[in-house]
Amino acid sequence: MQAYLPCGVYHQQYSEDHAWWQTKFVWGKMILLGVLLFVVFPWFGGYYLGIMNSIGYTIMGALGVQLLIGFCGQITLGHAAFIAVGAYTSALMLLHIPESQAFWAVFLTKSGLLYPVSIVAAGIVGGLWSVLFGLPSAKVKGFYLIMTTMAAQFITVDFVITQYVAQIGGRGQAFSLPPGTIKIGPWEIDSDVKVYFLMVTLVILMTMAVANLMRSKTGRAWIAIRDNDIAAEAMGINIILYKLKAFFVAGFIAGVAGAFWISNLSAVSPEHFTWFWSLWLVGVILIGGFGSIHGTIFGSLFMVLVMELLQVIVGVLTPWFPSLSMNFLFLKESLFGLSICVFLIFEPNGLSYRWWQIKNYFNLWPFSY
Amino acid sequence: MNYKLSHGVLKPIWTVCDQVSRSIKTQNVFATRKGRIDAHDLCFLSGSRLTNVLKGGNIMRSRIVWSSLFVAFLTLGLISVTGPIAAADEEINIGAINDMTGATSDVGKDYALGVKEAITWINETGGINGKKIKLYQYDYGYRIPEAVTLYKKLKNYNKVVAILGWGTGDTESLSPTVTKDKIPYISGSYSAHLADPKKTPYNLFFAADYSTSARAAITAWYDEVWMKDAKFKERRDKKEKPRFVCFYAFPAPYASAPIKAVKDQAALLGFEVGPDQDISLTALDCKSQVLGAKSFKPDLVWHGNTTMSVAAAMRDAYALGLGASHITNVWGFDENLPRLAAEAAEGAIGVTTCAFFGQKVDGMDNVLAYAKKVNPSIPLDKRLIRTIQGWGAVLVLKEALMRADKKGPLTGESILKQGFETIKDFNLGLGIPPVSYSAADHRPSPVVNIYQYKGGKFSVLEKVDLKARWPENWQNKWLGW
Repeated sequence: MQAYLPCGVYHQQYSEDHAWWQTKFVWGKMILLGVLLFVVFPWFGGYYLGIMNSIGYTIMGALGVQLLIGFCGQITLGHAAFIAVGAYTSALMLLHIPESQAFWAVFLTKSGLLYPVSIVAAGIVGGLWSVLFGLPSAKVKGFYLIMTTMAAQFITVDFVITQYVAQIGGRGQAFSLPPGTIKIGPWEIDSDVKVYFLMVTLVILMTMAVANLMRSKTGRAWIAIRDNDIAAEAMGINIILYKLKAFFVAGFIAGVAGAFWISNLSAVSPEHFTWFWSLWLVGVILIGGFGSIHGTIFGSLFMVLVMELLQVIVGVLTPWFPSLSMNFLFLKESLFGLSICVFLIFEPNGLSYRWWQIKNYFNLWPFSY
Repeated sequence: MNYKLSHGVLKPIWTVCDQVSRSIKTQNVFATRKGRIDAHDLCFLSGSRLTNVLKGGNIMRSRIVWSSLFVAFLTLGLISVTGPIAAADEEINIGAINDMTGATSDVGKDYALGVKEAITWINETGGINGKKIKLYQYDYGYRIPEAVTLYKKLKNYNKVVAILGWGTGDTESLSPTVTKDKIPYISGSYSAHLADPKKTPYNLFFAADYSTSARAAITAWYDEVWMKDAKFKERRDKKEKPRFVCFYAFPAPYASAPIKAVKDQAALLGFEVGPDQDISLTALDCKSQVLGAKSFKPDLVWHGNTTMSVAAAMRDAYALGLGASHITNVWGFDENLPRLAAEAAEGAIGVTTCAFFGQKVDGMDNVLAYAKKVNPSIPLDKRLIRTIQGWGAVLVLKEALMRADKKGPLTGESILKQGFETIKDFNLGLGIPPVSYSAADHRPSPVVNIYQYKGGKFSVLEKVDLKARWPENWQNKWLGW
């Protein structure tokens, strides 16, 4: 019994102390989660898978924002730009490399490795682009950093991508990816369920990577910078280097999110990456909880599901209240602002704190005190 | 809510939430205040009393808020789950993705009203060969990720056979998906990129595409203003070229879609083209762009945005004495333009795909009657041409559905092949030029009515038939861009 419940577990090694899943009970929960994610959820219909894919995309987008704001204290309002960079990098590789007759291009195309390679490339390009706009963080912080990251949004999406990148090949702005372009090995990603599996894999990989980073020297340095950058510098942390590392990792995750997005739609356009989406991602982590990976996931679930639920409810009630679909639209729009206000007032630590409380309650029940 | 529901279903839920919430709070409060109160005291205080003792009403209020939120969402979720979409056998499910709250809601809301009213009219006047249409209409706020989710919902959950879509961004983005899923997507976007069936076979719309419209507008200005206006006589005699600039939102696919065609037409007619000016769809001030264009001394400005932004640009052009004529794309030219731009809109020329709201044309009686009936709270004098465009999209879909339904079961493919692609020179009424579709060409019409706003009213400036004027280009060069 000792190994199944947290009470009475005595670690003898540091590795045990730092293990993610410290008891067999937690292992059981994780296996159950794995079964849910890989066996149960895929049986749901296309609509539900579409929502899950949307949640996964939001998680990937918000994870980078969480890393920057929640862990490193670098406020960003231009994250959609880095997602856009990733999406366009991947799309351009998928469209142009198959046209090349070079040996490596033919190999990548025929082996079905082109899309996976493009995901990594999207991450790297997104990361480097993010570092470029992270450079001002060496000199400015707070509201001034918000302005520089907003500049990233407008320079990247409205100027560079719309004016130049989107014109490559004379395709016009919306790149459409022909069927069969997005493949991983022999596996063509052409249905919601395949996109779902890709999404789950990427989200798990990204989450594990960030969780691991946060218990490394780099993660501790980020937290030190967030809590007090002057003290961190006094302790010998190269704050510029670590800030730029944070921008690179956040941009990498955003790039991967962008590369994933094109598999969901087989198309990409600058309109997919508006400034509002950057703001939305900040809202996600605000609701989920700053400085928590759980918070990123809960915030994404909340934001997508609540909007979807409202949509469904309006749809269901419309036959009885025909004006609902027209006259109550402000509800959905207002909910974003309202939920942020509600969370700031009643739960400034976000949903992750509430989750922590509930978990503790059940872990310690019935003798919670 | 009746007594049985509130006490039979909600009360146990509420009680459970309340207990959990109380216990959690008790634990929290104890954890944080245990220096002041011992476990013995705790045993004799209930959760709510304890929280009141320790924190006055704050925690109680917090608890109520959380419990209420939880109960509300649980209840709403139950309602939505227990209300599955089960259409009757004789119903045809149609989806609509509209922008009623987003960047293009200045024109999108009225369009959405028109769609709903037209569907109501169809259902009350015999339906589709006796079958009623069930409309699932959603707002996506011009956010593409939301449009994608909605599309999947309409396809997989609502089981629609066709969708009435909206903007260029979402329509072009969804184009590969609708092609794969074989769902006809009748958009409010008339982008020429969507008119080539080889690339986008399931994308359709009811009126001349943006590129055709833009070519027609430039041509009408050239014919009626440049060639006839006395103020240009001297320059005409000197063989000077008309000077032309474009105002549009660079990042918006709607605005940028026809730009290549606009410049091609300008070159065809011998214009000198100046630098483009980037004006946001939500712009309220365009002075810097107007000043940027003013140095080029343009005779003609193409406005590629929606009404609100176009009005802002016209106002600033008027205030800064730009001195150019204005031609406007279809979504920037409506009854709100003179209301917003006042005297700056005098003489403005624009593309229309149909008659203005309330004009005396075939079919307008139905539009007026159903506007009053379905949305009585909106005064008729506030309604726009967008309503008619919504009707136009529905009417062409209705015709396709009726034709396909007569031939067999309705599927996306049958609606396209047996429906749309059999329509030839069909008159939809409402001042819409006759529409045709074929398996090789989805441009509905080469004819465009160009209107001018003058002396407080809109009147036809010229009816331009591009096919008649440039048959070779129309047939072989202009499809798909």
